[in-house]
Amino acid sequence: MEPLSHAFKERSIWALQDETLQVALNRAKDGFAVKRATAVDRLPEFEALRDRAVAIKDHTLENLDHYLERYADAVERSGGKVHWASSAEDARRIVVDICRASGARMITKGKSMVGEEVGVNGALEEAGFEVVETDLGEYIIQLAHEPPSHIIVPAVHKTRGQIAELFHQNHEKYGLTRKLAEVPEMVNEARQVLRGKYLAADVGITGANFLIAESGTSVIVTNEGNGDLTCSLPKVHIVTAGIEKVVPTVEDASTLLRLLGRSATGQDMTTYTTFTTGPKRPGDTDGPEEYHVVLIDNGRTTMLGDQFREMLRCIRCGACMNHCPVYGAIGGHAYGWVYPGPMGSVLTPLAVGLKEAGNLPNACTLNGHCAEVCPVRIPLPDLLRTLRHREYQLRLGLKPMRWGLAAWVWFTTHPRIYRLGTRVQARMLALLAGRKGRFRRMPLAGSWFRGGRDLPAPQGETFMAVWQRRQRGQG
Amino acid sequence: MSGGREQVLAAIRRSLGRGALGADARAALDARRGATDSEPLLPKLPKGTPAQVFRTGLEKVSGTMSELTALEEVPGAVAGYLAGHGLAPETAVAPSLEALDWAGAGIAPSVGPTRGGDFAGVSQAWRGVAESGSLVLLSGPENPTSLNFLPDHHIVVLRAQDLVSHLEQAWAALRERGEKGWPRTVNVITGPSRTADIELTIQLGAHGPRSLHVLLVD
Repeated sequence: MEPLSHAFKERSIWALQDETLQVALNRAKDGFAVKRATAVDRLPEFEALRDRAVAIKDHTLENLDHYLERYADAVERSGGKVHWASSAEDARRIVVDICRASGARMITKGKSMVGEEVGVNGALEEAGFEVVETDLGEYIIQLAHEPPSHIIVPAVHKTRGQIAELFHQNHEKYGLTRKLAEVPEMVNEARQVLRGKYLAADVGITGANFLIAESGTSVIVTNEGNGDLTCSLPKVHIVTAGIEKVVPTVEDASTLLRLLGRSATGQDMTTYTTFTTGPKRPGDTDGPEEYHVVLIDNGRTTMLGDQFREMLRCIRCGACMNHCPVYGAIGGHAYGWVYPGPMGSVLTPLAVGLKEAGNLPNACTLNGHCAEVCPVRIPLPDLLRTLRHREYQLRLGLKPMRWGLAAWVWFTTHPRIYRLGTRVQARMLALLAGRKGRFRRMPLAGSWFRGGRDLPAPQGETFMAVWQRRQRGQG
Repeated sequence: MSGGREQVLAAIRRSLGRGALGADARAALDARRGATDSEPLLPKLPKGTPAQVFRTGLEKVSGTMSELTALEEVPGAVAGYLAGHGLAPETAVAPSLEALDWAGAGIAPSVGPTRGGDFAGVSQAWRGVAESGSLVLLSGPENPTSLNFLPDHHIVVLRAQDLVSHLEQAWAALRERGEKGWPRTVNVITGPSRTADIELTIQLGAHGPRSLHVLLVD
């Protein structure tokens, strides 16, 4: 999809003013954090499992070529076919070609973030196929013609009233004309409509949470069972997966599974964990006749070679955004591309460029919560800082900010002048503020005071001066 | 598309700052027991028999379970379940359970895969996992996958001797299958289908079964 990250500031302001969105976001905020904390507290081994997970991912990335080759060879042995895509364009072309060759008309899809990343749906629709998302959340946003706003619950920004309206508009053609109000009846209606699609589909496309090198197996986790119906009923199954999804063994995948469900939704184990190896075997009475895997690079090998390799450990659980105050305030759409929240603020500039998405790494308070909850210990705040640094070096960003930073650097590298300057400034501000001890307005900083905020004034002494005085025992 | 393969692999090696690994290095990697080359880290289970721990896990995710003392009791238990849910005495049955006396329990079974017309499906689990209350089902002519997902009610027969503590024990047993290796699909199922996609309200029966009932046979 065309990135809209350059408009981050405008989109954030809209999001903050969108009352419906704010209701939806407030509902989500605490639910996820509490569920995760409860699940983690019940498992004393959680921290040790996180260390294991980091070791598994780091070792695999260090030997990524080997494990991908082992994986691809095992897939071919089981009767499947592996396709390698260097770019998003390659991936789209490969998927469209497979669907054309199989004479398909209707395609069902399980949720796949890499599918969103490379724009599989758009390419298939352009080629004339009917594409139906089957994850309930993805189905809802497909009806609304919107991108996902969360990587686990894509329609978290929608209220039940909005969803009822979407179903009312789109389900009339199936003879379903009643306007619904309650969640169970909406889920049932979607179940009824999508059941027909599963059974009529010629191709099913899913993502992969893990790829297992030793056996050539792809793993998907879903709670709804939509991934299973998508990969079992049509005669062709296509798996789209980033190259970083591979792990050496099924035991490695099992370690990561213990972290994934707990970090994402607070579940010990997601309802359906499905391990698929090749097409149907001789004698099987169901399952697809063709099994394809599209391994997608699309910038991942670049990350492997620079400071962002740790980002390739990501298992797409969504914990970072569930614990991010910025995401909690503005939701996913403001970020303007496929991946929102802290992980998205790292991935988006790397994928679409800092010129387009330079605002994202700056929209972070560096509170560190995302890194605390990340199951694979990705130092997200550090990576965001690295991106800010890169933005500065590339001379991107607003000029006043760059000048301000340059001046700051000069002062902090001249400590005597810095100390003198801050001492004078602290005294001046304390005098100017008078007895009230705060400012109501200040030149060049109008936006701070908007909405009735005051700025507390310094009390006349700098921190360093106070510190030195106390060290000398005069405090 | 071997061109694509070489292109991606070359890009990986460039980023890792090395060429292709030699035969010795690759053999050493293949000899490892997984990425960390160590025994899996298995969480300690709560106190209780495997069946008790399994039941706790299953019930936590809204599954139900009854315990039987012999395989012959399965058709009667299925008949009781169907009657208890106000369903007709009809069900799809996996070929692995065809030999049981279904007619004797008053049930008309349709043996084999389903295309969605059956309200209930009975299949056989290959293993049960106490840690999470999960069932492990293998696809094959004897156990069609469609039975696990299309019926509203999924009834699963699990022999007590097939209960293991952790998933890793199931994988060890799968390796012992040797030649046959991995079937097309291994379904690890933990409770009935669910969604929280509308206002984060949990609703059972999204696309798969609305209820999951385990018959544990000693």
